[in-house]
Amino acid sequence: MTVEPLAASTSETAKLRETGGPLLQTENLTIRFGGLTALDNVNVAVARGQVRAIIGPNGAGKSTFFNCVTGVLRPSSGRVLLNGNDIAGLPPDRISQKGIARSYQITNLLPNATVLENVRIAAQSRRHRWSMVTHYRSYRDIVDKAEAALSAVGLLGKAYELAANLSHGEQRTLEIAVAMATDPQLLCLDEPTAGMSAAETRETVALVRRIAEHLTILIVEHDMEVVMGLANRITVLHYGRVLAEGTPSEIQQNPRVLEVYLKT
Amino acid sequence: MRDRQPLVFWTGFAIIVALLIASPLVLPPFWARFVTEILIWGLLAMSSDILIGYTGMVSFGHSAFFGLGMYGAAFVLLETKPPSLWAALAAGLLAAAAAAAFVAYFSTRLREIYFAITTLIFSQIFYIVIFTWTELTGGENGLTFSRPALAIPGLFSLRFTPMVLHWFVLAIVVLSYLLLRRITQSPFGMVLQSIRENEARTRAIGYPIERYKMVAVMLSGLFAGLAGVLYALQNQFAAPNFVFFVLSGEVVIYNVIGGIGTLVGPILGAAFFLLLREGLSRFFTEYYLIPVGLMFIAMVIFMPQGLLGFARRWLNR
Repeated sequence: MTVEPLAASTSETAKLRETGGPLLQTENLTIRFGGLTALDNVNVAVARGQVRAIIGPNGAGKSTFFNCVTGVLRPSSGRVLLNGNDIAGLPPDRISQKGIARSYQITNLLPNATVLENVRIAAQSRRHRWSMVTHYRSYRDIVDKAEAALSAVGLLGKAYELAANLSHGEQRTLEIAVAMATDPQLLCLDEPTAGMSAAETRETVALVRRIAEHLTILIVEHDMEVVMGLANRITVLHYGRVLAEGTPSEIQQNPRVLEVYLKT
Repeated sequence: MRDRQPLVFWTGFAIIVALLIASPLVLPPFWARFVTEILIWGLLAMSSDILIGYTGMVSFGHSAFFGLGMYGAAFVLLETKPPSLWAALAAGLLAAAAAAAFVAYFSTRLREIYFAITTLIFSQIFYIVIFTWTELTGGENGLTFSRPALAIPGLFSLRFTPMVLHWFVLAIVVLSYLLLRRITQSPFGMVLQSIRENEARTRAIGYPIERYKMVAVMLSGLFAGLAGVLYALQNQFAAPNFVFFVLSGEVVIYNVIGGIGTLVGPILGAAFFLLLREGLSRFFTEYYLIPVGLMFIAMVIFMPQGLLGFARRWLNR
């Protein structure tokens, strides 16, 4: 469990990046829902420091892949390795504690809490989380960390507004701040620009790029412009299988990928 | 976040506590005793607010925790010579905590109505065991005993007159309130409220939800048991009808009337409900529950935030 403040984790991950071995690796990851095989022997290895995009037509298994990695779904077989340790089948809270954070496709916040409280409660999950008789505001370290996460995404000015009163774009950004406040090693973003205006999308891409300087990122995204602008490696899923993997330019020229995307 | 005016809050708190300290000195014995009883039911209601108001779990099992506190204290008072208040208190709390741990283990995996039904079933199991195990519990007749002295060996010993009992109950209820209030404002309390707002999200940021819920049920059960011990002390008996689920329903009503998620609201709700029942039963004799029910329906419709929420909104206007 890492407890360093946000600033200190930068050099930490930079150090980790030099030591080899993928941060996240799935081995023959398979999940079936009744007769449907939603993921079929998926092998993906995400190196440290990488921005990996998962793309594919609707129903390809992108969100299912995300849910297996973050513990929402339990894979039928196969392994999910984080730093070489199998985490497949662990519940979401354990996986969060191991260092994988996620944002949701559909905004999933505490609507009646303030922006700061949304982030503070996430920061608190690493420290003092069972403390019962001290007022939560006396833990300055947690509030500082939450404020640092908010300032990193540019929402510090709205710290005392209710999350429900933010615009859609701001709520999506708050999702990222909440995820960042848990000090993850791997950040999973599920369609971070869904429903955003062109301007908001540009801002989010810039934000993710800043975060990517010191964090490994796994991103599911529909907007090809966003994917090509962010990812340095892309995995294409089709009917639950890996159709192709490569750099953005390789994927753009891959005839099988083009065929799948033109068909749908 | 709520107490933006701490001075107003603590002034109000001091005035109310002062009035409650003075109440047995100025009220006739019947009403003085009534106030003591309201404090005890208020403590029970407040304990269940930890689940209903703060964690978003409606418990219909609080009669079991209350009843176990009551019987735990009664056993010790009957078995020890001379009867010790502190041993009775410890036994009552232990019995309630054990029952709460048992119920929590099975019920916290379930949500919403399924949680409520499970707590109700478990409390009925406790009721049936207590009702039928006559050798141990006195069955239908319950257990009667005499009050111990309020004593610390070697220091002092006071007889429990109604007045001393009132102050003893008041001290425990006030301390419980301050402790519960602090717990709801602690990091742990914030996690409970986060679970109420969005359980999946709270799990995703790293909190083991089931464990938090279990601790919440046990904490709530412990304070319900404390109320049971106090009630046993006041009435010098433990009876099976206090373990019956109807009592749990009344506790939920106190919460709804007073305003959930406020701690003070449920006490207010208990006071209002008991006074209303007392007043109406004088006019309507055995039919008093009909007007009580009508008023309850009206309150749920017209002030869904409860008395406290309604008062707050009215004051802010």
